[in-house]
Amino acid sequence: MTRGCLSLSNVKVHRGARTILDVEAMEIREDEFVGIIGTNGAGKTTLLKVCCGLIGADSGTVRFDGRDFHQFSAWRKANLRRRIGYIPQAAEYNTELPFTLRELVAMGRTSVKGLLSRLNRKDYEIIDDWIDRLGLAEKRRQTFRSLSGGEQQKGLIARAMAQDPELLVLDEPCSNLDFNWKYQITELIDRLHRETDLTVLMVSHETSQLPPACGRVVLLHEGSVLADGDIEKILESDEFERAYKCRSETLKIAGRRYTFQKGSD
Amino acid sequence: MDSFFYLVILAGAVAGAGTGLLGVYIIGMRMPFIGICISHSAMVGSIYSILLGVNPVYGPVVFSAACSMSLGAIRPGKSRLDANVALAILFNLMLGLTFLGIGLMRGSRSEVLGLLWGSLLFVDRSNVVIITIFALIFVCFAGLFNKELKSLMFSRTIASATGVHEAFVYCIFLALCGAILAVNLPLVGGLLIFSLITCPAAAAYQICTGHRSVVLAATAFGTASAVVGFLVSYYLDLPTGACIVIVSTLIFAVCASYRALGRKHN
Repeated sequence: MTRGCLSLSNVKVHRGARTILDVEAMEIREDEFVGIIGTNGAGKTTLLKVCCGLIGADSGTVRFDGRDFHQFSAWRKANLRRRIGYIPQAAEYNTELPFTLRELVAMGRTSVKGLLSRLNRKDYEIIDDWIDRLGLAEKRRQTFRSLSGGEQQKGLIARAMAQDPELLVLDEPCSNLDFNWKYQITELIDRLHRETDLTVLMVSHETSQLPPACGRVVLLHEGSVLADGDIEKILESDEFERAYKCRSETLKIAGRRYTFQKGSD
Repeated sequence: MDSFFYLVILAGAVAGAGTGLLGVYIIGMRMPFIGICISHSAMVGSIYSILLGVNPVYGPVVFSAACSMSLGAIRPGKSRLDANVALAILFNLMLGLTFLGIGLMRGSRSEVLGLLWGSLLFVDRSNVVIITIFALIFVCFAGLFNKELKSLMFSRTIASATGVHEAFVYCIFLALCGAILAVNLPLVGGLLIFSLITCPAAAAYQICTGHRSVVLAATAFGTASAVVGFLVSYYLDLPTGACIVIVSTLIFAVCASYRALGRKHN
């Protein structure tokens, strides 16, 4: 049985008369790590939201594990999404609430348990296990809002993992972090992908934040897929320079790719 | 103190506790404006019930439920309209309908002004029973859907993306919001109810750690605001509504100062 597979065909999303996403075909296979790159406004976040059914495609099909999102009622669509872990950009969640870290991670079990059932001891074992595995044991009873940006990001990852997802969707998880935290979070995502059979879809502005496990990138440009394939080849390609309107060079250091601008086109 | 005032205090305590608890979720979802918007829609319902000569209990419940349910149409990630902007637009409409209704009224308008300021001193036993029943229904709802409500407060987008039945829970929440505000309206009034929703919950969010303590503190602060506010107004012979608003604001100020001065890990 396939787990965490995504398949998009002829997907179009419109905003008024403008087409903001136009993906002819895109397959994400089980256990794959796919990075999504592109300039601001290229449609990266829209693509992520379409992949987890937050935005419905105006035409085309989005299949998760072979099942078309469109063919399900809102209720069954929600049931299908239980297997998707989602970490959005910071603006999408409320950091001012005094939830403890443990409460936040426990939210990952909400959809798994379903309506009207309470979390039991086994759930809390899973929750505590993820808090420990991510090195947050000492912060367990602290409020989420009192944690540093990096610790908050780890907390969100622990929450997503407590859900036991098949597909993990991350929208720029390292933005607003200092370089040390960026490294730590990237390492963590890399480790989680290697240790579990998780399919990962990650948007990143900086190529250095795509961990070594990311072997494939999708380059978006003005809502369309300009290139899709091996990360090394795409970062060296003409399409990449065309999308960013500049000449670039990529250095690979310790499995990471650092892209620099060499001059304007 | 006359024994009648014990009923007034009881009514104030229940109204304060119910709206204080409701406020935890309204403030948590960052939509404090919903209180004033729905209470005005309930007021519109009352005014037009009086104008049309129908039972004034039905109008507010129907209007506020319809108003709150229409907000449920704003879906995270899908709607391009922010919930607070939609609330502001809906509030403007309700305000317009309120003044239109007042303008169309013939004779005494004291009944309508009572809706604006409330009339805690004219409470009767049946009012207390109704607001208690609705407060208990909300307590049951908050208990049964505790984990979903917490997920919604943190992020409706994450909740929706990860398979929480957020639309279902959110719609019930909005409907209950409308019903609670509608039944409390004759007692506390459209203006006072806004302060009872926002101040106790906002105060609790300042000083508490963990959701359970927020719920308990906000309920206690709501009760204290209403009871202390009433006692101050009784002994100093001051307007009741104004005293309750000032007490609830003072509670918030104390909590905010406490957080600013002391607690580092909150």
